Amino acid sequence: MEMDLVINVRRNGAVPIIDLSGEVDAYTSARFREAMVELIDGGSANLIISMLKVDYIDSSGLGALVGGLKRSTENGGRIVIVCDNPQIRKVFEITGLEKVFPIFEAEVDALGMIS
Amino acid sequence: MSETDKVADMTFVPEEFALRDEVRWLKSEDLNLFSFIRQSMNKIEPAYVSTYPPSECGIATFCKDVATSVAKYTPFSKPTIVAIKREHEIEPYERVVRYQILKEDRQSYLDAAKYINDSSIDIVNLQHEYGIFGGDDGEYVLDFLHALKKPAVVTLHTVLHSPSPNQKRITQEMGKMCEVMVVMVKTGRNILLDGYSVDPAKITVIPHGVPNVHRVASSTVKRALGMADRQIISTFGLINRGKGIEYVIKAMPKILEKYPNAIYLVLGETHPGVRKHEGESYRNMLTEIISELGLEEHVRFNNRFLSLSELVRYLCATDVYVTPYLSKDQISSGTLAYALGCGKATLSTPYLYAEEVLADGRGILIDFQSPESVSDTVIKVLDDKDLRESLESAAYHYARRAAWFNVAISYLDLFDRVLRRSGVIKEEPTL
Repeated sequence: MEMDLVINVRRNGAVPIIDLSGEVDAYTSARFREAMVELIDGGSANLIISMLKVDYIDSSGLGALVGGLKRSTENGGRIVIVCDNPQIRKVFEITGLEKVFPIFEAEVDALGMIS
Repeated sequence: MSETDKVADMTFVPEEFALRDEVRWLKSEDLNLFSFIRQSMNKIEPAYVSTYPPSECGIATFCKDVATSVAKYTPFSKPTIVAIKREHEIEPYERVVRYQILKEDRQSYLDAAKYINDSSIDIVNLQHEYGIFGGDDGEYVLDFLHALKKPAVVTLHTVLHSPSPNQKRITQEMGKMCEVMVVMVKTGRNILLDGYSVDPAKITVIPHGVPNVHRVASSTVKRALGMADRQIISTFGLINRGKGIEYVIKAMPKILEKYPNAIYLVLGETHPGVRKHEGESYRNMLTEIISELGLEEHVRFNNRFLSLSELVRYLCATDVYVTPYLSKDQISSGTLAYALGCGKATLSTPYLYAEEVLADGRGILIDFQSPESVSDTVIKVLDDKDLRESLESAAYHYARRAAWFNVAISYLDLFDRVLRRSGVIKEEPTL
């Protein structure tokens, strides 16, 4: 089976950035959720999720994000998204989740907010 | 884990209720965040007018898929199904079916419109095919639209090149009364413009949805199905005379000369409407052909309703998928869309939908009613591994855009645009 999501974690200073590449859907969102939980439980409540290389996201992916946000806010943090793909931004816009998750086109702006 | 279990696991199509579930959990765990998300999220309340499962019909399945997919993105909305059913039929519908239209009862259409007008429903998505509504050519649908005071989006499952005068009138009237007509391919748009003079601003193209399936090597699935050494050709769907299955059966002897282990799987039961009028006479005719040609070991029927996971398993095992349909006018095909969604090398007669979705190397067109064309093309695809892989890859990547989760976003976007244009003001909902 093709598992079409690559998850990479890096840091810019103290801020962890999860780079997603591929599709965040019902097949792959559990791994994405685990990556967020691991970081938050490890003491990094503030997260940047980079979706610059995400092709598609479905409601499972959004669910994982909401679950991650809950965990993050419980620990006094926030989740900020980097995304310049109009199709992905449309998903956040049309669901209304763009009001829940700050979304920036450039990582530097996301870092500015979360720092 | 056994081989069969492994394959069942690989071809399992996961549910995606995560967003709705997450929001529900939040309500008990973090009321502040829950309230914030509830205030922020989209609250469109759509109603869908259509046949609906357990009615066995492609449009019923489509309606359930689109309604379910849209609902996954709108956890604070309550979708409504207004189901069209035949009188005297008792359907054990799900609770989401909140109103029923009796197909041949004209008053029932007016009552349904009043039910929607008096409700908190924002917008109506009506699935249209002439045969699912009552009256001549299903003209009672116009009564419903006339009486409806909420904006309507009509999804057309049939757009005829050469309609009867009454069919043309119905489609044109619908075009005037609804806000938007949705067709599944550009060809449908062109026919509406040229043949029906529908306002171009009212037509939009949203592809037929396909299940979210991640690709699996066919060889692995074949082993689990006990067909490891077979070349599998398949067709699925509700069986009726328009499917042209006999032409693939007649192509099998020539295919078997080159591939003696080839097998043709015909997956699906006879269309209930057809069974009611002519029983299993079409399937019996196919069986006779199989018997005459001595193909008992090379054509297999699976004469029952298949679950999505079963269907996906058979499609994943398939080497060549064929839709040998007979009607040039066919403007949508759920089965062809599903085959593309599973990334299959697909052959089809050149009906309108197939011509468009199989263009640009996504499939190969075969002649209508031609066993020779079927056999030659199947052999060509089986012979050429590179060609097969190229077809599979092109089909899969094309169809990813049409995965139901993407189609749902297109419908939500459309509903949103229509409601903004209509100036509909929504009240704060409750979960």
